[in-house]
Amino acid sequence: MSRIIACYKWVADEADMKINPDMSVDLSKAKGKISDYDRNVIEAAVQMAKISGDLAVTLTFGSPKAKLSLKDALSRGPAEGFWVNSEMAEQADGAASAKVLAAAIDKIGDYKLIICGEGASDTFARQVGPSIAARLGIPCVSSAIKMELSGNEVKVSRKLEDGIEIVAAQLPAVVCILPEINRPPIPGLKAVLDAGKKPTREYKIEELGLLDSDLGARNETIEFKAYVMNRKNIVLDGETAVDKVQALVGSLKKEGII
Amino acid sequence: MGEENQFDAVVVGAGPAGLACAYLLAKAGKAVLIIERGDAPGAKNVTGGRIYAYALNLLDQELLEDAAWERKVSHEEIMIIDGKRSITIDYHDPSLTEGDQSIQSYTVLRAVFDQWMAGKAEEVGAMLVCGIRVDDLIQREGRVVGVIAGEDEIYAEMVIAADGVNSIMAQKAGLISDLKKETVGVGVKEVIELPAKTIEERFKLSQNEGSARMILGCTQGIHGGGFLYTNRESISLGCVFMPQEIVQHGQQVHDIFQELKMHPAIYPLIQDGKTVEYSAHLVSEAGLRGMPAQLYKEGLLLVGDSAGLVINTGYSIRGMDLAILSGIAAARAILGENDRSKIGPAYLAEMEKICLLPTMRLSDGYTQLLDIPRIYSNYPQLAIGVMQRLYKVDGQIPQNLKKQVMEAIDESGLTLWQMIKDGFKGVRSI
Ligand SMILES: Cc1cc2nc3c(=O)[nH]c(=O)nc-3n(C[C@H](O)[C@H](O)[C@H](O)COP(=O)(O)OP(=O)(O)OC[C@H]3O[C@@H](n4cnc5c(N)ncnc54)[C@H](O)[C@@H]3O)c2cc1C
Repeated sequence: MSRIIACYKWVADEADMKINPDMSVDLSKAKGKISDYDRNVIEAAVQMAKISGDLAVTLTFGSPKAKLSLKDALSRGPAEGFWVNSEMAEQADGAASAKVLAAAIDKIGDYKLIICGEGASDTFARQVGPSIAARLGIPCVSSAIKMELSGNEVKVSRKLEDGIEIVAAQLPAVVCILPEINRPPIPGLKAVLDAGKKPTREYKIEELGLLDSDLGARNETIEFKAYVMNRKNIVLDGETAVDKVQALVGSLKKEGII
Repeated sequence: MGEENQFDAVVVGAGPAGLACAYLLAKAGKAVLIIERGDAPGAKNVTGGRIYAYALNLLDQELLEDAAWERKVSHEEIMIIDGKRSITIDYHDPSLTEGDQSIQSYTVLRAVFDQWMAGKAEEVGAMLVCGIRVDDLIQREGRVVGVIAGEDEIYAEMVIAADGVNSIMAQKAGLISDLKKETVGVGVKEVIELPAKTIEERFKLSQNEGSARMILGCTQGIHGGGFLYTNRESISLGCVFMPQEIVQHGQQVHDIFQELKMHPAIYPLIQDGKTVEYSAHLVSEAGLRGMPAQLYKEGLLLVGDSAGLVINTGYSIRGMDLAILSGIAAARAILGENDRSKIGPAYLAEMEKICLLPTMRLSDGYTQLLDIPRIYSNYPQLAIGVMQRLYKVDGQIPQNLKKQVMEAIDESGLTLWQMIKDGFKGVRSI
């Protein structure tokens, strides 16, 4: 039995985001949550492990605030939760996160599959999965909407612009999934209660053989501003319903939407 | 704890009632599970905004020290509105912000307060699960032995129904039938953000001081009233109405509330503020008469709003403090009685001891008084009419006072006979 590792990110809940009059964004009151797409990641790992008889576990790189995420993640089914605890996570970019996660995966060991989201729901930089694979020297398949383990291969359906590509990769591999891959259920009461009893493991950066200085972001966020999309406020007139629908269709065509 | 997932107590609902009970039980070493359907405690809860501190003091004196309150109420205000005119009476007692904490009251925001209280219960060992709705009770031979949430069953020695007004748990236990229209009001509320300094200037408050205002005559004759509470950096403004009267009047709650916001005596208080929260909730209005005949069943106790424990006197609403008291009484009954079949009666005895039931009985008269429809239009109109005449100086020969008052009575549509009857009812009720 080897491990199927689901990587997730603990992000600020955008529902609690406040926009100030000067368009700056206030996240100080925002609660944390598991990135929406990463709920699919955890569910995918649980489903795969159920079929293959392997062990689904979770892994996150987060600040002390992410401690809250462990119970949430484990209530979704995995057997064990790993957490790399460092303040550095707050400003880490994709490269730094991948460095930490790859080191942690190495430490956890005995893995056959690593599942990541195509991107995180806050930054959606699409870096972490491929960079982890590069660091571990294993294959990476992105844009997955279906996957299947057979022997020492993973077979993945990739959603492309104009079609679906089916590829096979040698295990161990990293698969980055799109949210279409599954519909994660809301954990039930017993699942939540059980989560509290599951083992968790916390790593410090140094335990992974890394230094804080290794984790400096290579790009720096200079400004974080809200963007306002002005509504067009078009009122469609028309005597009959048919007139109105025609006006609507005409208007949508004019906008190049249909 | 016997078999797996078996608790000493399961508390349904993380409001003040459930949390108070869970806190005490957990502190006494019981295995307690609190189940809350909101994503976090307080997420779904609406209150006007004032809690009386004595209840927290009874729960645990230490809790009072760092309670998550907004401002200490030292201004008690009553506002009467008729059309664009208004009277505001402001009773100010600055000593209420210092000294004996147990006679004070605080304004609170539930999202903050409930979470703080839940944190305290967790600190002493209670287990809290959010985002899960309890759907049913497990009952065996007339006894409640657990709860059902989705597909999961959880067993417990005792289940505490703290799920608020219109309690599903109480219904499933057969203790209340469906909601009666005339026993609940509909409350709507906005939280309007303003800088602390602005609030202090507008309400003439010193730092930490707060005001609590009840508003009469703002409901266009409908049984109900308004409220306004100052928080640290926001104002809670709302209205409570009797729903069936709204239907009869053919009016929209939203429109009446909007008119209150735009009232010339209210608007300047909230001007330039930003509405950050709009909510609506039921509020039990019937006092003693709204309480279920039975507050328990073997294995189950009803606490807080699920037991109908709200007192609305017209000049204040009390629900959160009574919720906490009932939670305390429930915990004391459970801790003091080993025989499960005797916990229910012990709960009632504890409610007597903690002065909860006597208070409910005493306030019954208010509920009757508030049933007089004239309170919501004619009397506010009369008070304003008298004021208007009293302060009018226009160079004409003034009329004598008695005549002026009679004129105002006439104008308000009241008859002397009605007033005598209402007055009698009023004196009797208090
Ligand atoms: C507009 C308005 C103004 C008010 N003003 C005041 C005031 O100024 N002062 C005052 O003291 N009182 C006031 N009250 C009354 C006060 O809010 C209530 O009496 C008090 O909140 C009752 O506490 P409780 O714990 O019994 O119920 P609630 O606070 O209602 O808590 C019940 C909890 O149970 C949860 N729940 C419900 N069903 C389920 C389920 N099936 N499964 C799991 N969880 C469930 C809910 O999400 C909620 O968290 C006001 C009420 C309203 C509506």
